[in-house]
Amino acid sequence: MLIEILQQTINGLAIGGVYVLIALGLTTVFGILGIAHFAHGSISMFGGYLTYFLVTAQGLPVLAAIPVALAAGILLGLLVEILAYRPVRNANHINAFIVALGLTMMVEGINLQLFGHEQVVIPTGLSRVFRLGGITVPELRLYVIVAAIVLVVAMMIFVERTKTGQAIRAVAENRDAAILMGVNVRTIPLIVFGMSTALGVAAGIMVGALFAIAPGIGEGLVVKGFAVLILGGLGSFPGAILGGTVLGITESIAAGFISSAYKDVIAFVVMILVLLIRPQGLLGRAP
Amino acid sequence: MSKHKFTRACAALALTLVAGSSLAAEKKLTVGVADALTGGGAVYGLPQANAVKMAAEEINAAGGIKVGPDIYKIDVIAYDDKANPTEATNAVRKLIDRDGVKYILGFCCSGSTSAVASFIGNEKAVMLVGNAAERSITTKKIPNLVRTRPPADYTGQAAGTFIARKGQKRIAVLGALDVGFYAQYVDSVEREIKKVGGEIIAREVFSLKDRDMTPQLTKIRGLNPDAILVVGYVEPAAFVYRQAVELGMNIPRYGFTSGSEEQFLRVTTSEQMEGVWDLRPTELTLLSASKNGIAYHANYTKKYNASPSPSSPYAYDQLYALKAAIEAAGTVDNTEAVAKALRNLAVPPQVVMQYQPVDGKMFDVNGQAYTSNGAFQWQKGKWVFVEDLPSDSKAYSQFLSTLK
Repeated sequence: MLIEILQQTINGLAIGGVYVLIALGLTTVFGILGIAHFAHGSISMFGGYLTYFLVTAQGLPVLAAIPVALAAGILLGLLVEILAYRPVRNANHINAFIVALGLTMMVEGINLQLFGHEQVVIPTGLSRVFRLGGITVPELRLYVIVAAIVLVVAMMIFVERTKTGQAIRAVAENRDAAILMGVNVRTIPLIVFGMSTALGVAAGIMVGALFAIAPGIGEGLVVKGFAVLILGGLGSFPGAILGGTVLGITESIAAGFISSAYKDVIAFVVMILVLLIRPQGLLGRAP
Repeated sequence: MSKHKFTRACAALALTLVAGSSLAAEKKLTVGVADALTGGGAVYGLPQANAVKMAAEEINAAGGIKVGPDIYKIDVIAYDDKANPTEATNAVRKLIDRDGVKYILGFCCSGSTSAVASFIGNEKAVMLVGNAAERSITTKKIPNLVRTRPPADYTGQAAGTFIARKGQKRIAVLGALDVGFYAQYVDSVEREIKKVGGEIIAREVFSLKDRDMTPQLTKIRGLNPDAILVVGYVEPAAFVYRQAVELGMNIPRYGFTSGSEEQFLRVTTSEQMEGVWDLRPTELTLLSASKNGIAYHANYTKKYNASPSPSSPYAYDQLYALKAAIEAAGTVDNTEAVAKALRNLAVPPQVVMQYQPVDGKMFDVNGQAYTSNGAFQWQKGKWVFVEDLPSDSKAYSQFLSTLK
């Protein structure tokens, strides 16, 4: 029993890592700019597809393809901010909402046109399996968990310890006060979108390597990402980290110990139960 | 040339042309394809649509369909139903109402096919179903519907006998069990293994979009089964095989998926697939293929630069069956006569699948065709046909006739 619980926890950690990265990207944009960036999942898939293309069609090694995809993702994030969201920044919230929906369809369409409709799996060549007692950990899952931790730590250091990070937090806390303190608020959205998209692309690459990328998968990811946001507490970085991890492990344990047929339902039931007790989410601030 | 002579020559030429055209007027017959061209079902639907187009080109090149003095060249319109019941209904309505199509082929997936089957009986059209394996599609006695693929439980019975013979008693099932025909396959397997004291110890589920099956597999691993049975679409099934190895499950793996080598290798490695059994209709595997099958494989690969999926000939055979039925009925307009001719049809010589006719006919009274079933094993990078799975098409046909 103990071994099964530990195995399910490890199973859930890998997918939880992906949820964390998606949720961190979403919470950064939502917390600082107030935009529900629905296209985040499709952009993540773009990153995964691009990596697949670079590896299979261009013959790049995976480790070389990943930085290229991340750079392309950051560029795409900047373009999204400049072309799609900036024009509606000072308009009614519904405008940004509609832009976000339209953008989702557009990016999905671009993915379909550029990369086709077939499911693709990023070839990594990592097929070793590590065994410890009765627990098995595939090499690829281990690297995904480690990579997710590294990215989360790097992001936290950036946000907490650098001047730019402080500026981002300042804008999130109080935009007007940040302006008065001399923060250049015009560049903050660009940085936020670049950072958010890089995290999303990293998540897309992980999904593509662990599982598969196909049309429609991005939508499912973004729904889970928003669920994590609510579970962890809107706009809270630690909340997104905790929420993503909890959701991943809950899904895995629910499938293993209750029923695989209701895996997603059970995870959302847990989310609702948490919200009944803590309406602000696990680590969100009470209003 | 005098004016008189010129007039006579023109008249003679006109007469010749008119006479010639009345002997063999070349006309166009548009057939529709409704199938999953995108999405999860596209692994079955797209090769089916390709197969119909290829068959149409072959038939046209060989002279078309001969109906009395007329020769019909086939034109194919294919719409994407995304394996979705609503999309399939819309696609077929568009084919019938807007495009005026009377013959509709394709239909890889059961949910979408069942939706169309529910109203096709009221239409002046003939529906030829391919890979969709849900049993109820041919239990409703719809006179203008036939299906080239046998129902899933017909194959499940043969598969159960095979597993029972292998001696494994405790079988864990992981599959798309919310899809009716997969559940029917498993029920048939269970009936057979129970006869030798075996049992199904777990029925774990995955959905079409699931790609992480490690939670279910971890649970199954904890139950120490003798073997695992995987029923579902190729893509999730491929992940099950891969993740079972990653979890260190070194037990026999049986499946019901009908995926090609290419489709599996997009997800797994050949080493991870080694030893996996696929217990399914014989379909198209080169080692078991007839001369037609080998030619089909070569032509398809050349035309589409990809290997055909094993189930794609179900759709290819549809068009040859339709051609034979139209020629036998002597009409393209009277769909009732064509539907009747389909049910009286002997197996056409051009088909790829190895059909087991019932009373000498390709389709039984329910409109159902039967192919042989086979046990295939993944050996060194490819599916190898190991043996036939004994199947009694006549007895199953009688059983099917008793259902409503």
